[in-house]
Amino acid sequence: MEQVATSHAHADVHGNHEESGFWRRYIFSVDHKVIGVQYGLTALLFLFFGFTLMTIMRWQLAHPGEPIPALFFVVPIAAIGILVFFASGFKPSINMLLGALFIGMAGIVYYLTSGDERFPGGIMLPEFYNQLGAMHGTIMIFLGVVPLAVGAFGNFVVPLQIGAPDMAFPKLNAASYWSYFLGGTTMLVSFFVPGGAANSGWTSYAPLSVIATTGQTMWLIGMIFLITSSLLGSVNFITTIVQLRAPGLTFMRLPFFVWAQLVTSFLLLLAFPPLEAAGILQLMDRVAGTSFFLPSGLVVSGQPLQNAGGGSPILWQHLFWFLAHPEVYVLILPAMGIVGEIIANNTRKPLWGYKSLVYATVFLGFMSFIVWAHHMFLTGMGTTISTFFQTTTMIISIPSVIILTALVLSLYGGSIRFTVPMLFALAFLPMFGIGGLTGLPLGLAPPDIHLHDTYYVIGHFHYVVAPGTLFALFAGIYYWYPKIVGRTMNTTLGKIHFWGSFVAINFVFMPMFIQGLAGVSRRLYDGGQQYAHAQGVLYLNNVMSIAAWALGAFQIVFIINFFWSLKRGKVADTNPWQATTLEWQTPTPPPHGNFLKEPVVVRGPYDYSLPGHATDFIPQNDSDHSR
Amino acid sequence: MFQKRMYLALTGLMLASAPLVAGDVTGKVSFSGKAPTPVKLLMSADPVCKKAHPTDVYSEEVIVNKNQTLKNVLVYVKDGLGGKTFPAPAEMVVFDQKGCMYQPHVLGIMIGQELEVVNSDPTLHNVHSLSKLNTQFNQAQPMKGMKMTKKFDKVETFKVKCEVHSWMGAYIGVFSNPYYAVTGDDGSFTIKGLPAGEYTLEAWHEKYGTQTAKVKVDATGKVTADFGFKG
Repeated sequence: MEQVATSHAHADVHGNHEESGFWRRYIFSVDHKVIGVQYGLTALLFLFFGFTLMTIMRWQLAHPGEPIPALFFVVPIAAIGILVFFASGFKPSINMLLGALFIGMAGIVYYLTSGDERFPGGIMLPEFYNQLGAMHGTIMIFLGVVPLAVGAFGNFVVPLQIGAPDMAFPKLNAASYWSYFLGGTTMLVSFFVPGGAANSGWTSYAPLSVIATTGQTMWLIGMIFLITSSLLGSVNFITTIVQLRAPGLTFMRLPFFVWAQLVTSFLLLLAFPPLEAAGILQLMDRVAGTSFFLPSGLVVSGQPLQNAGGGSPILWQHLFWFLAHPEVYVLILPAMGIVGEIIANNTRKPLWGYKSLVYATVFLGFMSFIVWAHHMFLTGMGTTISTFFQTTTMIISIPSVIILTALVLSLYGGSIRFTVPMLFALAFLPMFGIGGLTGLPLGLAPPDIHLHDTYYVIGHFHYVVAPGTLFALFAGIYYWYPKIVGRTMNTTLGKIHFWGSFVAINFVFMPMFIQGLAGVSRRLYDGGQQYAHAQGVLYLNNVMSIAAWALGAFQIVFIINFFWSLKRGKVADTNPWQATTLEWQTPTPPPHGNFLKEPVVVRGPYDYSLPGHATDFIPQNDSDHSR
Repeated sequence: MFQKRMYLALTGLMLASAPLVAGDVTGKVSFSGKAPTPVKLLMSADPVCKKAHPTDVYSEEVIVNKNQTLKNVLVYVKDGLGGKTFPAPAEMVVFDQKGCMYQPHVLGIMIGQELEVVNSDPTLHNVHSLSKLNTQFNQAQPMKGMKMTKKFDKVETFKVKCEVHSWMGAYIGVFSNPYYAVTGDDGSFTIKGLPAGEYTLEAWHEKYGTQTAKVKVDATGKVTADFGFKG
C-alpha cells in the first residue's frame, strides 16, 4: 500500500527533516496514518481468524460428534492467501505480507482442526470447544473490534477531522500499536502450548480460570499487553482532541465521530485499570500461590485445593465487569460515530439533534460506570443492590435511544444516496434497535433469572456487535477507503457483500433468541443435544450454522473487493463523497503533517444543503459563507 | 563322555532347582463385622446410563463377597526388592467405561506401561485422574469407541473420576515392580514369580485403608499371606 507512504516531495508543516529508512517509515512509524493502517490490517486479520474459530464451533453445534471436514475451513483461507500473494507480483509489499499471513492462517486452522488433543478421529473434544469459545470472544472484542474501531479508525480519522498534523504523542501511538501486536501474538501462540489456549470463557471467571491449563496464563499476559495498549492510546486521544483542534474548531463544531471517540477514550482510560490490576492478581493466583480469587475450603473434583484461601471469586466478577460493561460502550460508540458521519453525508443534511447526540453520548459514558452488576444478577445479590443496578440499567437505555432516534430522525426529509457505506449505516439502525431492545429483559432481574447464561444473551450481544458495530465498521471502511488508498472500492461487489451479509447474519442470530427462551444454555459443546428442554429447538443449530458459513462466504467477496480495489479500483479525487468534514479537505493520501496549510474552521460539521449555496455541501474550513 | 554326562546332570539340576529361586504368594482378604448397606446409584440423569442397567446398580466402594472376603483390594510388595528395576511390560492395561461404570474398579499398572482408556458407552465421559505425583489428566471422550493411552512415571495410588457422572470412580495403583494383584469375587489374590527373600506386603482398600504383612519366600516356593479388614 505504497500510496499510504508519507510523501516528502511537497513541503510539509513540519519543515524539512531527514528521509526515514524503511523500518522507521513503514514498520515502526510514528505517523498516525501509518499506525492507523497497521491497526486496521492487523485487526481485520484477527477478526477473520476469530470468525473462522466460530465457524468451526458451528460445525460441532450442527453436527455434534461427527468428524469435521477440515478442508472446508482451510481451503478458502489458503485460496485467499495464494491469490493475494500472487497478485502482489512477488514484489515485497503489504500484499505479499498479507498473502503470506492468510496462508499462515490456513496452516493454523489446519493444525487446530486436527490432532488427538483437539480432534481425535476428526471429532471435536469438549475441551477444544471451550478453547474456541473463549478465544472467539477474546479475539473478536480485544483483538478485532476495539483495535479496528478505536485504533484504526480513531487513529487515522480523528487527527484529520480536527485539523491536527498528527496525534499529540506520536511515539506513544506507536508504542500502543506494538503493545497490541505483542498481546495479540501472545494470545495466538497460546493455541500451541500443551493444554491449548484459554478455555474459561472470555470472562475468565475464577476459580475455574485459576486452575485451568497453561493457556490461561498466556491469556492473562496477553490481556496485560492489550490493556496497556488501550491505556496508552486513550491518553493520546484525549490529549489530541482537547489540545490539537484547529483554530475555530470549538467542541460543539466537532464531528460526532470525534465526540464518540473522545467519550470512548475516557471509558478506556477509567475502566481498564481495574481489570489490568485484576489480571495481574489472577496471574499471581495461578503462578505465585496467592489466593485473591480462591476461597478457603475450595474443593475441586472431590479434593480440597491446596491454596492459601481467603479470596473471593465474586471479587473477580466485579473487577471484570467494572471494565467489561463500559467496554461494550467502547464497542458501540465509535460505530455510532461512523454511522452519524455517513448518514449526514448521504442524506445531504445535518444530523438531527446534534446537541442531543453530544449530551446523550457524554451521559451514556457516565452511566456506563454504574450498571456493571446487571451481569451478576444471579450471583446471590440482595434485592436492594439489585434494584439499584436494574434502575441504572433502565436509565442508561435512555441516552442509547436518544442517539438511535436522532440518527433515525436524521433521515427524515433527506436526499438519500444509497451508497455502499450508507447501506451498512442504514442497516445498523434497526439491528442496533433489536440488540438494544433485547437487552431490556436481561437488565431486569426477574426475567434475567430465566435468560441469564442462555443463548438469548448471545443473541442480544451479537446483534449489537455484529450487525451493529461490525456493519458500522464496514460502512467506515467503504467510506474512508478512498481517503486512505486513493481509489474507491467496487460498488457492485460492495452491494453483494452488504445484502448477503445482512440476510445471513439475521439467520445466524435471530434463532438464538428462540433457543434462549427455550432455556438452552450457552457454552454447551453439543448445542443442547443432551437436554430434554432443548430438543424442540435443536434443528435451529443447523440453520444457524449454514447461515454462519454463508456469512463467511460473503466476507470473501469483501476481501476480494478490498485487495482488487487497491490496484484496480476507480481513482478517487480528494473528496469523492462531497463531504464537509476536514479529512476530505486535504490531498489523498494526506501528506506527512496532514494539511499543507493549517485549516481554520468557520462552521459546524454538517453544513449540507444550505439554501442559496451553489453546492449542497460546505466544508468546515470554507470561509466564503462563514456564519 | 563323562564330561558330557556331567553337563547334562548339571543342566538337569539347574532346571529342577529353578522353581526354588522364585515363588508365588497367595492369600485371602477377609472381612469381619457388619457389611455396610450397599448404596444404590441413581443414573437417571443420563438416559444412556439408565438404559444400560435395567436392574438396580450399586456403588463399588465396598463389595463384601459371599464368603466374607473383600473384593477390589490391591495387594502389592511394599518392601524387600531392594533397588531392583523391572522393565515395563509391552501389554497394555485396558481401562473401560461401560454402562457408566469403570471396569475394572481397581487396577495395578507398572511405571512406563501403557494404560488404554476406552469409552464403550454412547455418551460423554470425562476421565480425570486425581494423582498428586503423576501428571494429572482431565480429558473428555464424547463418542463411543474413543480411546486414549496414558503412561505414569511415579509410584502412587490415586483415584480416577468422571466429571460428568459423579458416581463413577476407580483407583489405579502405579508400581515399579510387577508384583501386585487385585482381589476378585472370592477375595483371593496371587502374586506370581516373586524371587526368594523377605518382603513386606501391603493390602490397600479405598475405604478401609492399608494393612501390612511380612512374608518369606523360601525353598518351597509357595507362601500364604492373609489379611483381614474390619467393618
